[in-house]
Amino acid sequence: MPCLGALFINSQSLTAPGELLNLSLNAWAIAPEGAVLIAMLGTLLVDLAGEKAAANWAPPICYVGLLTALGLLAMQWNGPLESSFLGAFLSDNLAIAFRSVVALSTLISLLISWRYAEQSGSPVGEYAAILLAATLGAMLLCGATDLVSVFISLETLSVASYLLSGYMKRDARSSEAALKYLLVGSAAAAVFLYGASLLYGISGTTNLQAIGIALITSPTPLAALALVFVLATVAFKIAAVPFHQWTPDVYEGSPTPVVAFLSVGSKAAGFALAVRLLIGCFGAFDNQWKLLFTVLAVLSMTLGNVVALAQTSMKRMLAYSSIGQAGFVMIGLVCGTEDGFASMVLYMAAYLFMNLGAFACIILFSIRTGSDRISDYAGLYQKDPLITLGLSLCLLSLGGIPPMIGFFGKIYLFFAGWADQQYLLVIVGLVTSVISIYYYISVIKMMVVKEPYEASDVVKNYPSIQWETLGMPPLRIALVTCVLVTAIGGVLSNPLFQWANSTVAGTPLLQQAIALGSQINIG
Amino acid sequence: MTIAASTELICFLILSVVIIAGGIGIVFLENIVYSAFLLGGVFMAIAGLYLLLNASFVAAAQILVYVGAVNVLILFAIMLVNKREDPKPIKGLQLRKIISAGVCAGLLALLIRVDLTTPWSLPGPTSIGELATERIGEHLFTDYLLPFELASVLLLMAMIGAIVLARRDVLITDVGTGKEVNQGLIEKATSPLLIDKNSSS
Repeated sequence: MPCLGALFINSQSLTAPGELLNLSLNAWAIAPEGAVLIAMLGTLLVDLAGEKAAANWAPPICYVGLLTALGLLAMQWNGPLESSFLGAFLSDNLAIAFRSVVALSTLISLLISWRYAEQSGSPVGEYAAILLAATLGAMLLCGATDLVSVFISLETLSVASYLLSGYMKRDARSSEAALKYLLVGSAAAAVFLYGASLLYGISGTTNLQAIGIALITSPTPLAALALVFVLATVAFKIAAVPFHQWTPDVYEGSPTPVVAFLSVGSKAAGFALAVRLLIGCFGAFDNQWKLLFTVLAVLSMTLGNVVALAQTSMKRMLAYSSIGQAGFVMIGLVCGTEDGFASMVLYMAAYLFMNLGAFACIILFSIRTGSDRISDYAGLYQKDPLITLGLSLCLLSLGGIPPMIGFFGKIYLFFAGWADQQYLLVIVGLVTSVISIYYYISVIKMMVVKEPYEASDVVKNYPSIQWETLGMPPLRIALVTCVLVTAIGGVLSNPLFQWANSTVAGTPLLQQAIALGSQINIG
Repeated sequence: MTIAASTELICFLILSVVIIAGGIGIVFLENIVYSAFLLGGVFMAIAGLYLLLNASFVAAAQILVYVGAVNVLILFAIMLVNKREDPKPIKGLQLRKIISAGVCAGLLALLIRVDLTTPWSLPGPTSIGELATERIGEHLFTDYLLPFELASVLLLMAMIGAIVLARRDVLITDVGTGKEVNQGLIEKATSPLLIDKNSSS
C-alpha cells in the first residue's frame, strides 16, 4: 500500500500545466449523483408550471431519478477500484453501500412527505429539489477522498438541511429549529475547516490517503489536535453526545419528513465520513480516536436512552432514541474488525427501514389528527389498526426484540464488540437496550392496552380513514414496505448479512485497517 | 537584516496588532455597528498578510468577498433590523462567561503548546507570485473539478432556498383537498411536560 501512496504523492506534485489534463477523470463513478442532479433540475423546471403541476409531476421525476441512481449504484457494485476526479472521489463498496442507504432514505422520505407538505401548504417542487440537493451532498460525502470535496459536499448537505428544517416558515418552532441548526452547524463547519487546514499544513496535500501516510511517517502533536477538531465535526453530524444539543430542538421544530431524512440519510453520510477520515486518514492515531469514540459511544447510548424516557412528544422521543442508536452503531466502528465494520453497515441498513417505518406511522397519525403527543396515541388500535401495527413493529425492532430486523442488527453489533473485547461498550449497550425497550413498549402499551373509554380525545374524534387524497397512496406504500422489511427482514436477513460482508470485503481501506488490527493483536 | 526584510517584519507586526486588537474589539464592543466595521478592518488586515506572502490573487479575493460582500451584508442586516430592545437578563451569565473564558484560555494554551512543540519545516514552499492565478485555475479544472462543480449545485440550491424562505406569495390552499392551510407544522404546539403535569393533577 505505501507504494500506492507514493504514486499518489507523485501525481500530486505532477501539477505541471497540461500533464494532468491527459489523465482520465473516470467520471462514471458519479453517474448515480448525476441521476439525482438531473431529477433535481427536472423538479425545478416542472415547478415553473405552477403548484398544481409540481404536485403532480415532481413525485414521478424524483422516483425515476432516485431509482436510476440506485440501479447505477447496483451496477457499480464490486466494480474496478479506480479513483475518479484525480483523487477526489472513490467508489468502493463502502461508498456504494452508504450511498444506497442515503438514496433509499431520500426515496422513502419523499414518499412520506408529499401529503405532509401539501397539507401544510408549502411549495412542493422546491421542497423536493432541496431534499435532492441534500441527497447529492450526502452521497458525494460518502465517497469523497479529498479534504476539499469532503468540505464542499458536507456544506451542500448542511445548507440544504438548514433550509429544510426552516421550511415551515410561518411556524416559529420551525424557524427556531433552522436558526439553531444553522448556528451550531456553522460552528461545526468552522471547526472542521480549522482541523483540515492543520492537516494540510502538516502534509502539504488535501488527499486523505496521502495525509494518512504523512501522519504515519511523522506523527506530531499538531496532528492530534487536528484529530480532535475533525472528530468534533463527525460527532456533530452523527449527533453523538456531547455534540448532540441541537438534535432534540431541531427534530421537534422541523417538518417530520425532514426529520426522517436527517435521522437516517444525514447520519449515514456522517458515518461514512467517520470511516473515511478516521480509518483512512488517522490510522497513525488508532488508539487515540478509538478511545475518544468509546467515550462518545458510552455517553450517547446512556444519555440518549435515559433522556428519551422522560419525553412526551413522539418526535422528541425519536430524536433521543436516534442519539442512542448512533451510539450502538459506533460500537462497530470502534471494533475495527471485519465483523465490526460489517455489523455497522448492516445496522445502518436495518435502522433505515425501522426508523423510517416509525416516522411514516407518526406522520400518518399527525396528518390525521394534528398531534404528536405520546398520550394522544391512547387507544389507537380501535380506530386505526394499520398505524398501531406498523408503529408497534418498528418500535419493537428499534428496541431489539427478536424476530425483527433490529434484533439481528443489534446482536451482530454486540457479538462483534464482545469478540473484540470491548466489554464496557457491549455491557453499556445491553443495559441501555433494556432501558430503550421500556420507553418503546410504553408507547405500544399506550396504543394497545387502553380500553375504548380510556382513549384520548384525539382518538375519540378520529377521522374516517381515507387513502384517496393526493399524496396518501405513496405514504401507504412507504409505510407498508418499511414495516414489511422490518418484520420479515429479520428472518430473511441472510442476503443482508452477505451484502454487509461483501461491502467490507470490497473496500481496500477497511481490509487494510483489519489487517493492521489483527497484526497488532497477534504481536 | 536587509531593508526589505525589516520592512516586511514591520508590516507583519503592524498587521498582526491590527488583527488581534480588532478581533478583541469585535467581541467586546457593545455596539454591534462598531463590531461590524472593525470586522471589515480585520478582513482588510488579513488581506495585507496575504499580500506579504506574495499571494496577490488571494488578497484581492479576500477583499472582494469578505469586505465587499460578507461585511456589507452584515451591515445591511444590522440596518434592516433596527429594533431597539434590551435583551432579557440571562440567568447565571457571569458563571457562563467564566466557563467559556476558561475553555477558550485552555484552547489557547493548547494551541501555543502545540505550536512550540511541532517541528515546522521552515522555510515553507517558495511563493510563485503572479503565476498563482494560473495555478489556481489549473487546480479548479483538474484535481478540484468535482468540488468546483458541486459548488455550483450548492449555490443554486442556496439561492432557491433563500427565495422560498423570503418570498411573500404563499400558498394558502391544500393542493390535494383545496382546504385552507397556514404553512405551519402539522403538529400543533403542545405545552411542555411540567405545565402539563401541574394542570392535570
